[in-house]
Amino acid sequence: MTALAKVPAKEIARAVADAADRWRDADFPARVRATGRIAERTGYSVPVVEYALDRLFFSIAFDALAAAIADELGELEILDDFRPRAGRTDAWAMPIGSVCVISSRTTIGVALPAAVFALCAKCDVLVKDREDYLISAFFETLHEQRAEFREGARAELWSSHDETAPALESFDAVVAFGKTETLATIRNALQPEARFITFGSRASAGYVSREALSATAPAKDIARQAARDIILYETEGCLSLHVLFVENGGVVGAAEFAALLDKEIAIADVEFPRGAAAARRTADISHARALTAFRKSTGATGVLDAPPPFLPRLANVVVVRDPAEALEYVRRHRLALEGFAIAGDRFDLIALGVNAGAVRLSNFGELQDPPLHGNHGGRPRIGEFVKWIDRTF
Amino acid sequence: MNYDYRAEADALDAEVLRAIARRHVESFDDLALRIFAHQLRYNEPYARYCESLGITICASPTNWREIPPVPAAAFKEAALCTFDPSRAEIIFETSGTTTGSGGIHYMEDARLYDASLLAGFDYGVVTDAPDPLRYCMLLTSPAQSPRSSLSYMMNRAAKAFGDGAESWYVGGDELQTERFVEDIAEIRKSGVPVCIAGTAFAFVKLLDDLKLRRITHALPLPSGSRIMETGGFKGRTRIVDRGELYSHLADTFSLPPNHVIGEYGMTELSSQYYDSDYHQANRVKSAPPWLRSYAVDENGNKLPAGVVGALVHVDLANRSSCVAIQTEDLGAIIDGGIVLIGREERAELRGCSLDAESPRAAAS
Repeated sequence: MTALAKVPAKEIARAVADAADRWRDADFPARVRATGRIAERTGYSVPVVEYALDRLFFSIAFDALAAAIADELGELEILDDFRPRAGRTDAWAMPIGSVCVISSRTTIGVALPAAVFALCAKCDVLVKDREDYLISAFFETLHEQRAEFREGARAELWSSHDETAPALESFDAVVAFGKTETLATIRNALQPEARFITFGSRASAGYVSREALSATAPAKDIARQAARDIILYETEGCLSLHVLFVENGGVVGAAEFAALLDKEIAIADVEFPRGAAAARRTADISHARALTAFRKSTGATGVLDAPPPFLPRLANVVVVRDPAEALEYVRRHRLALEGFAIAGDRFDLIALGVNAGAVRLSNFGELQDPPLHGNHGGRPRIGEFVKWIDRTF
Repeated sequence: MNYDYRAEADALDAEVLRAIARRHVESFDDLALRIFAHQLRYNEPYARYCESLGITICASPTNWREIPPVPAAAFKEAALCTFDPSRAEIIFETSGTTTGSGGIHYMEDARLYDASLLAGFDYGVVTDAPDPLRYCMLLTSPAQSPRSSLSYMMNRAAKAFGDGAESWYVGGDELQTERFVEDIAEIRKSGVPVCIAGTAFAFVKLLDDLKLRRITHALPLPSGSRIMETGGFKGRTRIVDRGELYSHLADTFSLPPNHVIGEYGMTELSSQYYDSDYHQANRVKSAPPWLRSYAVDENGNKLPAGVVGALVHVDLANRSSCVAIQTEDLGAIIDGGIVLIGREERAELRGCSLDAESPRAAAS
């Protein structure tokens, strides 16, 4: 039996939301301490870290948790007992057991949503924390909310060479973020029946239609939103805007839009200053910019051949004739897309996002702000942390 | 105005050769700007690039720092030379380890490249060495890698400064440690001073191999011997701090620290930097007088001395290609030389986002 097995799901969700609520306060001492540590670990500036923590903790709200759970499982109470289901057998969504969440090295608090839903499913959760101890600190707040979390929600820091690291074969489910090789290695360490919930390497793209470039004012607005999608988290997240397709034929030309984007990035730089992470890549950024200028001088035919730079605050702006050309780019560079931002009210742009493999379509400016009640990586939020017990008598 | 390419190129080459021979450039600005003007006339893709930046023959820079640097990776996109590349005397190809495809540096006349590399090597590596040295290269031979600038350079250096018995110890991608160890044993017996040259990665592999063979004692090299490290860890998985590497090498081969010399060069350049200050964690590297550098920020703005940025090099020996090259290398200008901070690992597609570390179970 798990530590949270006897706690009603509603109370778990409420406790999690209450803990998150305390973390929404920028002066909450635990958050203040974590902010400095996160800035040091990630190399992001403090305003960027503050923004990330706001996004993270404002999203963890009771209503959002309850809505996501009810949508996937039918109702929140089905986590507590057998419940009737319309046209189906009675069922109880029981915790799968123990869950290990292995977080990645950059994105801030990426492990937390998965951990929160696993807790709502009443699983025992162990998170591999990062050097900023963000998850440990949040779990301490959670422990203060309810004593059951002391056993049910743990976070530790371990390294791949640490002999005291937990053995992955003991977990019923493992959530992991990373590149294919690492995920494959982790998979080999699991019991065959364990659930393996992966979030692999992904990028994000956006498409600005010619209709959206019908005048300078709306074009400027899109550029401002896109700039935010590009610069946040130094373009390192899977939801950062890495490639921006700009359709030819707008009243505002592609070159003019690119200039607007450069200006908006410079403005956004003031609100979200560059941190040490970007400074370390100065040479790469400077070189990539010069290379883009060189390619343009040769006739720009090479631009479609250029892969995204994957450098802080740089996106590849690719001028295209139509969505087909954008799709060709995505396929040519084998981009596994997570998010796809769209400016333009056209069905073929939605089709482009879907055909390109994106699992989240959004407006510009919202790419890096995924709602908790949405899915992540095309996967359910809580469904993989429960096992269904059907009752047919 | 009519220009005579041959006469112009020969005259400029002669001037650069004179400067190399004298180790003195009368007016760096003047010569750099004349070479640049020559390149604007005859290096079409470079000229187009400069024009896109508003620089033409009619609107030329007034000093060497204003010459638009071409990004090093542009050598992958176009034949950046002042002549028909089919007439190139030297063709070097970058390894392409950072992006998967290589760039090509065409050079019209081997004399300029040879003179520059030998003068630099003489001053930077063998200036006070007992003559001649035995050269042991932890590199592929020029026969095996005919387009490797490093193999070419070390072959020329060995021919010019060596005892004629140089050896190459990388075949394919394999370091031939066994043969190297045997040869070094013989060299130690003979007392011939040696110069071991190789990439940082090759030296790390050598030290690892020696450890595996349980060779933990020092292998003192004959007096006057030295090690030249270059090339970094591009595309490799194991990266070791340079200071640590140099210290291990000095200990292993019983060499004074100033006989473990770091070289910094690029396929896209004709001249090289060498360590000149051995007393700091980040060694200062010095260039010959015909190579100058500055640093820029991420927007290409020039930075004052001491501020870390992207390095830009202006190499007068690049007469037949591009005189100014923007690199992906991070560094600062200090005491007239450069301190190389290094090159970040190439960015790649992220999960959410950088990789998680492998778990213990996976490592076992």
